[in-house]
Amino acid sequence: MSYQSQMNRAGWVEHFNDMHKPLFVCVGLLGLIGVMVLYSVAGGDFSPWAWRHGVRIIGGLGLIYALSTIELRSFYVMAYPLFGAVFALLVGVEIFGTKNMGAQRWLDLGFVRLQPSEFMRLALVLALARFYHGMHQNHVSHPLNLIASVAMIAAPCLLVLNQPDLGTSIMIAVTGLSVVFLAGVDLRYFMAGTLTIIAAIPVVWQNMLTYQKERVLVFLNPERDPLGAGYHIIQSKIGIGSGGVFGKGLAQGTQNQLNFLPERHTDFIFSNYAEEMGFFGSLALLVLFILTLFLIFRIANQMRHSFSRLAVASMGFSISIYVIVNLAMVMGLAPVVGVPLPFVSYGGTSLLTFMASIGVILAMERQTMADLPK
Amino acid sequence: MSLFENESGLFSRRLFALGGMQVSLFALLAGRLQYLQISQSDSYATLAEANRVNISELSPARGLITDRDGALLADNDRKLLVELVPEQAKDLDNTLAELQEHLGLSNARVRELRRRIKRGPSFKAIPIAEDVDWDAFAAINLRLPFLPGVSPRIGEKRIYPEGEAVAHVVGYVGDKTAADLRRMGRIVGDTVGRSGVEREFELDLRGTAGVRHVEVNARGRTVRELETNPGQPGQSMALSIDVELQRLVSQRLAGHSGSAVVMDIETGELLAMASVPSFDPNDFSRGVDTRTWEKMLVAERKPLLNKAIRGQYSPGSTFKMLVALAALEAGLVSADDKVTCSGVYHFSGEMFHCWREEGHGPVNMLQAIERSCDTYFYDLALKVGINRIEAMARRFGFGAPTGINLTGEKWGTVPGRDWKRANYDTGWRSGETVITGIGQGYLLTTPLQLAVMTAALANGGKRVTPTLVRAQETTSPPEPLGLAPEHLEVVQQGMYRAVNKPDGTAYASSLLIDGQRMSGKTGTVQVRRISLTEREEGVIPNSELDWHLRDHALFVGYVPHNAPRYAICVVIEHGGGGGQVAAPMARDIMVALLRSQGQKPAADGQPQAMRSSTPGERS
Repeated sequence: MSYQSQMNRAGWVEHFNDMHKPLFVCVGLLGLIGVMVLYSVAGGDFSPWAWRHGVRIIGGLGLIYALSTIELRSFYVMAYPLFGAVFALLVGVEIFGTKNMGAQRWLDLGFVRLQPSEFMRLALVLALARFYHGMHQNHVSHPLNLIASVAMIAAPCLLVLNQPDLGTSIMIAVTGLSVVFLAGVDLRYFMAGTLTIIAAIPVVWQNMLTYQKERVLVFLNPERDPLGAGYHIIQSKIGIGSGGVFGKGLAQGTQNQLNFLPERHTDFIFSNYAEEMGFFGSLALLVLFILTLFLIFRIANQMRHSFSRLAVASMGFSISIYVIVNLAMVMGLAPVVGVPLPFVSYGGTSLLTFMASIGVILAMERQTMADLPK
Repeated sequence: MSLFENESGLFSRRLFALGGMQVSLFALLAGRLQYLQISQSDSYATLAEANRVNISELSPARGLITDRDGALLADNDRKLLVELVPEQAKDLDNTLAELQEHLGLSNARVRELRRRIKRGPSFKAIPIAEDVDWDAFAAINLRLPFLPGVSPRIGEKRIYPEGEAVAHVVGYVGDKTAADLRRMGRIVGDTVGRSGVEREFELDLRGTAGVRHVEVNARGRTVRELETNPGQPGQSMALSIDVELQRLVSQRLAGHSGSAVVMDIETGELLAMASVPSFDPNDFSRGVDTRTWEKMLVAERKPLLNKAIRGQYSPGSTFKMLVALAALEAGLVSADDKVTCSGVYHFSGEMFHCWREEGHGPVNMLQAIERSCDTYFYDLALKVGINRIEAMARRFGFGAPTGINLTGEKWGTVPGRDWKRANYDTGWRSGETVITGIGQGYLLTTPLQLAVMTAALANGGKRVTPTLVRAQETTSPPEPLGLAPEHLEVVQQGMYRAVNKPDGTAYASSLLIDGQRMSGKTGTVQVRRISLTEREEGVIPNSELDWHLRDHALFVGYVPHNAPRYAICVVIEHGGGGGQVAAPMARDIMVALLRSQGQKPAADGQPQAMRSSTPGERS
């Protein structure tokens, strides 16, 4: 008997009781913090961002719940078709996409504008986990299999890079490679890959767009352009630093309230949070993220099937990389690559993807013992 | 099953490796947070504050300058001006072209601007035009979005309603320069006093800057005002100058090159101090162009020079009173001792001529001062000796600054034995004593010093410190010179006779107002050597000489003769005879002064008794 067929009205409650609630609560708390900061960013107003974010978080939690009820086998079966569909969407963006801020990222469906590149991470993780599922360890490192998985990673990456969206492209690549790594591919391939990347840096540099080059140069020395590209990093650091130990208080950050912080409702939201909540508040947020990730990795380690194991761990890793890159960026440790802070930053598609990932993770956590074809 | 376990073990190891990497990255982030929010928190807080607060300076209104009765000598007005910060201009050529069109700048002016832009630091605002008319100002304001770097603003302008008449006293202001900033540190406002009272009292007139702290957002727009300190407007000051008298003095002197000083003999207050030719200080506050400036600098009659304090002249016969005083004090002669003047005085093989070729015959001290007999003073100087003459000259303040509150004062030369050795490395010759006796030779004084001397002769022997500021506690009280009243009496008597006796050199300039008369002494200073041949053929009259070879005309005097209050000194460069040129000017000035004093209510109370006293000789 499949799990799905047991569902009835009483089953919903039972199902909820059965769910891994700590992770659900953590994600809810992160979303709540996002609402709080967006309220502050608007100068103490729920409009225009906070209430929408709140609605999205509630919707997202609903989505998590809904996804967690889906049968594990369905994910397994749908892994390749989903990957194919999202890939088609990416191609669609390439052809019909809407230009926005110099990059072609959006697919305008009329009622909602989607960024398929964000969905790609989830689809790719499932597809790769499916690919390595049940594969004998002796075959994992076989060159043909390696070529196949690298092709699955490279194809969407190149499409996204072409939009051009370097940040998301790197995120997709890193997430995909994490599946390959966790599947147990020989470490020598990774070493060779790393060396190749180092060797490729000059070539990549040559082919980078001016704004991308400028971002890297300004990252290396923000004072290079204090009123232009370096402005983001400098103002963000000023915001965080001036928060001090206890912060300036909610909606009291001068950097925030006087519009010195750019993109402070999306990518730079942490800067605003840190300014107003101070060191302890920032540390608390960091701890909440670590706790969330710890829960995900613990779930991953408990999975019986390599499909679930790889998918959960890679989705966790993907969230972790977003958090780390975003925080490093706003604190001036990484270039400005345009990566949101998961669950906290205002934004549609990325939030949807993160929520969906959590939903998939919780579905897998609940069905550790379910059958999957070998 | 073993296979599964193996696979799972590998997964766990790899997951552990990934987890370890993430933990270290999170640790790095926490460390970064600690660095930003705790270690560097203070400096970032400062940066945030600097971001937030825009501090603008409010330049205080410059203090007004008035005459002694409150008439404005220096006033403030608004002006519209346009500046350009070259660094911010995107397209300098276009910007300049558009500004030229709107402001009607000449091509030469644009070329000069280009030069200044090239030379100066590019972040510094360069004035493009001042006193812009409203239409052009409005037009530029409209075009502002397309003219980055251009800033039209309202500035303050100094205006001088009296123009040339008080130019040397009040001075003028100019745009501040880097040198000013070095000299005085931070300066608020655009201008700084360049000369005269404007320069001397710069610190009082300037006031202190106000500061406005405003909170601005990232676009620089003011969100709210945090605190405003309006600052302290500059102190207004009343000068001792009587502007009507000053105007009259400069009108009376017009056409000549020279100066005149009218001074209160008790307080040292200057009621008038004029130097001609003059200049219009309004030209300078507008910014004078280089060519006009250079022309003024090299002009023969030196319009920029305040000759009253910077002109140095031999005092000529106006010095004779001091020689007489030195002699009387030493007890070498009595006022009644006579010397016979034959028109020429022979001493050690040299001939010293009296101004009156036919001579004065036997004259006593009073007659010698009255008629300005040179022979008498040649003789007297030799009797007294250079040491006593030098000492007396120094007591009256020659050879030292008068201490007037105006920069740039010169103090002339008092020659003597030590001075001669120090400057010429030769001994003093007696012949030099002879000519020093009539105020010629090495002796140099300024008109202001002569006014101080005259005041001391008139006020009973006190040396006052001249001042341009009204109602100031006198910086240094008049210094008694320790002269015997009876000796001063003799000199005053001589000066009375010089103006009021038919044989006096200034008799033509005598005056009588409400029973008040003037006492004084003429001086005619030779600036060229008259050769023996010329003496024989007849001395060429001044009117036939080139201007720069003519005699200087001097007159010193005071009114009223019997209860002195005001001293005057007039020095006309190359004007001719003191009696013919300087004395009539002094008379006209003093007449005006006495008339205006008569009209004014007797504020100081004293003149009542003076008016009733009968004119006449005092002995």
